[in-house]
Amino acid sequence: MMHITMVKKIKEDGQPCRKCNDVMGKLERSGQINSIDHITYADERDPLSEGLHLAQRHGVELAPFFIVRESNGEEKIYTSYLKLVREVLNGQVSQRDELMELADRCGALDYV
Amino acid sequence: MALSSLEITTLADAHKNSEPQEILKLALESYDNIAVSFSGAEDVVLIDLAARIGKDVRVFTLDTGRLHAETYAYLEQVRERYDVAIEVAAPDHNELEPFLAEKGMFSFFEDGHKECCSIRKVGPLRRKLATLDAWITGQRHDQSNTRTDVPVVQIDPAFSSDENSLVKFNPLANWSSQQVWDYICENEVPYNPLHAQGYDSIGCQPCTRPVLPNQHEREGRWWWEDAKEKECGLHSGNLNK
Repeated sequence: MMHITMVKKIKEDGQPCRKCNDVMGKLERSGQINSIDHITYADERDPLSEGLHLAQRHGVELAPFFIVRESNGEEKIYTSYLKLVREVLNGQVSQRDELMELADRCGALDYV
Repeated sequence: MALSSLEITTLADAHKNSEPQEILKLALESYDNIAVSFSGAEDVVLIDLAARIGKDVRVFTLDTGRLHAETYAYLEQVRERYDVAIEVAAPDHNELEPFLAEKGMFSFFEDGHKECCSIRKVGPLRRKLATLDAWITGQRHDQSNTRTDVPVVQIDPAFSSDENSLVKFNPLANWSSQQVWDYICENEVPYNPLHAQGYDSIGCQPCTRPVLPNQHEREGRWWWEDAKEKECGLHSGNLNK
């Protein structure tokens, strides 16, 4: 059976990062949160936090991210929430969400 | 002529120290369906260089609807000076109108600029680029930390799709801001009057402000946002404390 872990980031001031909050809100509003089996934290105040170690183990440098473990034990990492929605949760992605994600990837826009 | 990924990498290496005019010429000779992206700022140099090469060049700009009045007037000045039809990409009203109804005209001061930029810039840009095989930008290494490695030509990492590789030429990559301005002055290229008011980087009116001497141009953009909020990196240094 598939198992999905979500890793969120807690900043040094103890607050969750804005992007993690945004993604969490979307998961909750869509009901997709019910498909997330485990939520853990990469806590900048705690180098031993589970999320930081998962990030290091999988070579991930962005939060939030998702670890999808298939029934055969194979794991796949998703740093894109929208890709997770499309490929794993079989959900619909709005154009606005698509563009937001593109804006995140697109430093070029700073000067356009 | 479409170039393969390997050919693009080879070209980037071969031309990494080439002059902007040479790279621009290469771009215009390699692709018919190509256009210059013009932001209404110092990237006007690309249009001037193309005019000197003597090739007809397509130019497009993004009208976000929130540009300075000076920028709109400047776009017209460039259109007349170079006798070039500037193609204008505008936001999709199906995206913009619900966004404004829901969040108002200045949501970026509360929610950050990305959502507004995604509707006013990313959407129109994606739509325009989907019609092209290649585009030409004014990106330079000295503009920000994220651009220090921008090659003179590359497969566009953001706007290429699985089905279609979009090629991006960055002829000014190796030039400094000073070199750009030397070129503008020496060749009497028209420039946006906002530059003379201290605007090093020119974007939308609410999100751009002048910078002080020796301040980086990046500091004139989205200054109200905490730099730490602009990324969600998981820094390995945290593990080594």
